[in-house]
Amino acid sequence: MSEAQSTQQLILDTAGRIFNDHCNKPLLDRAEQGHLAETLWGQIAENGFNLLGTADSGTSAQDMFAFIQLCGNHAVPLPIAETLLVNRWCGPGDGLFSVGEVADGRIVEVPWGRAVQKVVGVQRNSDTVFVVNAPEVVEQGVNMAGEPRDVVSLPDTAEQLTVADAWAQMAVARSNQIAGSLLKLLDLGILYSSERIQFGRAISKFQAIQHSLAIVAAEAAAAKRAADAAVDALDGDRFVFEVAAGKARVGEAAGLVAEQIHQVHGAMGFTHEHQLHHYSRRAWAWRDEYGNEFYWQALLGSHLANLGADQVWSFIATRG
Amino acid sequence: MLQFDRISLAEQTESLRAEVREFLKDNDQHFPLPISDFTTGHDPEFSRKVGDKGWIGMCWPQQYGGSERSFFERYVVTEELVSAGAPVSAHWIADRQSGPLLLRFGTEQQKQTYLPQIARGEAYFSIGMSEPDSGSDLASVRTTAVKEGDQYRINGTKIWTTDAHRNHYIICLVRTEPPSENRHAGLSQIIVDLKNDGAQAKPIKNIAGNEEFNEVVFEDVMVPADRIVGEPGNGWTQVTSELAYERSGPERFLSAYRVFVELVRACGESPAPHEAAAIGRIAAHFMTLRRMSISVAGMLENDKDAVVEAALVKELGNNFEKEVVEVARLAAPMAARSPRFRDTFEQTLLLSPSFTLRGGTREILRGVIARGLGLR
Ligand SMILES: Cc1cc2nc3c(=O)[nH]c(=O)nc-3n(C[C@H](O)[C@H](O)[C@H](O)COP(=O)(O)OP(=O)(O)OC[C@H]3O[C@@H](n4cnc5c(N)ncnc54)[C@H](O)[C@@H]3O)c2cc1C
Repeated sequence: MSEAQSTQQLILDTAGRIFNDHCNKPLLDRAEQGHLAETLWGQIAENGFNLLGTADSGTSAQDMFAFIQLCGNHAVPLPIAETLLVNRWCGPGDGLFSVGEVADGRIVEVPWGRAVQKVVGVQRNSDTVFVVNAPEVVEQGVNMAGEPRDVVSLPDTAEQLTVADAWAQMAVARSNQIAGSLLKLLDLGILYSSERIQFGRAISKFQAIQHSLAIVAAEAAAAKRAADAAVDALDGDRFVFEVAAGKARVGEAAGLVAEQIHQVHGAMGFTHEHQLHHYSRRAWAWRDEYGNEFYWQALLGSHLANLGADQVWSFIATRG
Repeated sequence: MLQFDRISLAEQTESLRAEVREFLKDNDQHFPLPISDFTTGHDPEFSRKVGDKGWIGMCWPQQYGGSERSFFERYVVTEELVSAGAPVSAHWIADRQSGPLLLRFGTEQQKQTYLPQIARGEAYFSIGMSEPDSGSDLASVRTTAVKEGDQYRINGTKIWTTDAHRNHYIICLVRTEPPSENRHAGLSQIIVDLKNDGAQAKPIKNIAGNEEFNEVVFEDVMVPADRIVGEPGNGWTQVTSELAYERSGPERFLSAYRVFVELVRACGESPAPHEAAAIGRIAAHFMTLRRMSISVAGMLENDKDAVVEAALVKELGNNFEKEVVEVARLAAPMAARSPRFRDTFEQTLLLSPSFTLRGGTREILRGVIARGLGLR
């Protein structure tokens, strides 16, 4: 293992332990009722995980996105991906921050807008971002996973910065969160099917169930590889197209995996009491945030059509 | 097992890639049909040219005619050949599978006899696994090879044997011991010379109207005892070890690649949104599959067990190749379909049922994956 790899492994191991201990069903339920997971946030900050990838942190953007993937895996109910990206764009800061999309003079779809010290508004077709300190929440809302998605006002005085492809970077964050959640869904499916007995044996012994889980494993593996590839393209000249391929592929996997894993869980997985929905609903919600499959497929497809049929192979057959 | 390492191909692979593209341009007279299915196009002259370039047996030791290059370099060569629709089927099995098998398990004499001919692009091999009553349940094969002095007497029938009517050799999975409690015991692999030993290969026409696979009948076919690959009785281990090579390469998701190219052509420079999305969707899948397949090449390079990962690539790849044809059909505007589009599309659609059968069916692969997940 290289030094960079072992640094990353150490981060993931430490964070994984914290999440295993603290990021459980009761915490997820409380977060859904609007309570910020302050203790968990404290532990993240104490370990410096909110500064991953920033200058002087001794860690890379790869480490940061690997951590974001892990947060997706545990459904960490904090705007931690957003905080990390704000620190990446604005320089390291101590607080909890968030990111939303600029629309009609406001910033919408802001995770935990009500609880953060700073919000950055990004735009799909522009590299100009708006930094709003001490944001004023004008509307509270949630996405279909019960995660806060607020609207904050965008004052004329907001600082403007140029951040290349900030919106696409958010798509990379969501791709990684989804990839993490799909791996979790696979684990839940394996676990439940090994414990649930019908017809005198664990349902995992039925070939139909085995095949469903095999399909899920393939999709989850593809999602992870696609999300990783988008990260590796960061700062390169193909970045937006790799994001397109990544988010499109991951988004496709999300629907399929959630559907199959719910089927494996039977009625139990349809209850609010079971933990499954915390992950499946997030996968469903996240695939539409920062460009769904159709948006990114069309963007990538238009580019390829423009290159022309005989250039497509050169585009696909890259070194990385 | 879901770890597909991020791999960057080394910079020198780019000059190799350029060389392959140059070679393909110089040899385009060999391309009868623009299909990228690796079983289409049996062209000994082309295969010899590929052999001359040192692109067969690339990873083998030089003493056996190889060029000791990495699995990644081989990957680059094979993906360039397949995506271009080059006629590679003559040497494909020997290069991908039979050669590595002999290299790993064969006797010194076998390596010296067969590997250099394969690497020159002159000796072509078939896979003699399936039988009329043994498909997915491969361990149930009934073809026997009985030792008589310094020879084996072979009796039985192999079927679906790709190119047995035009290849030189077949490596057959046979029973050298009667069936016992352990169904995997008593199996061996044996090399038969298809031109000289008296095996009868009869082509079976497929739904595309092509004669590619065969029935091969063995009636008291006598071969020297030294044709057993490796140890007698080790057949099952050997056969299963072939599968990681067989299942993870670029040919497992590029069979319909030319359909994609024709789709892009048909949609033109400024596609409608649904056309652009169709193109982008297919491209996103290709990009991901290719990276996963390269990760498996990395595992093979490092001698890691890649059976489950290879099955994952084949599972995704084969289902996807079928989908490419469907997506292209729905997206390509009828009026913009060139004769070439139709040809490529129709030929690939006709071949598509085989994608999820050959090399282990989809259902069997899902079983392999499920075992990897600890479910069975
Ligand atoms: C184009 C082509 C080329 C081929 N070339 C070669 C070759 O060169 N050499 C060679 O040896 N073979 C070759 N094959 C044969 C190939 O390996 C077999 O087709 C394959 O192993 C399946 O066997 P089968 O066709 O007898 O189907 P069967 O095994 O009879 O299967 C029929 C169906 O039942 C399903 N099934 C079977 N068992 C199970 C199970 N346990 N659980 C769930 N479902 C099951 C299968 O998945 C399939 O859908 C080729 C096949 C094709 C189509």
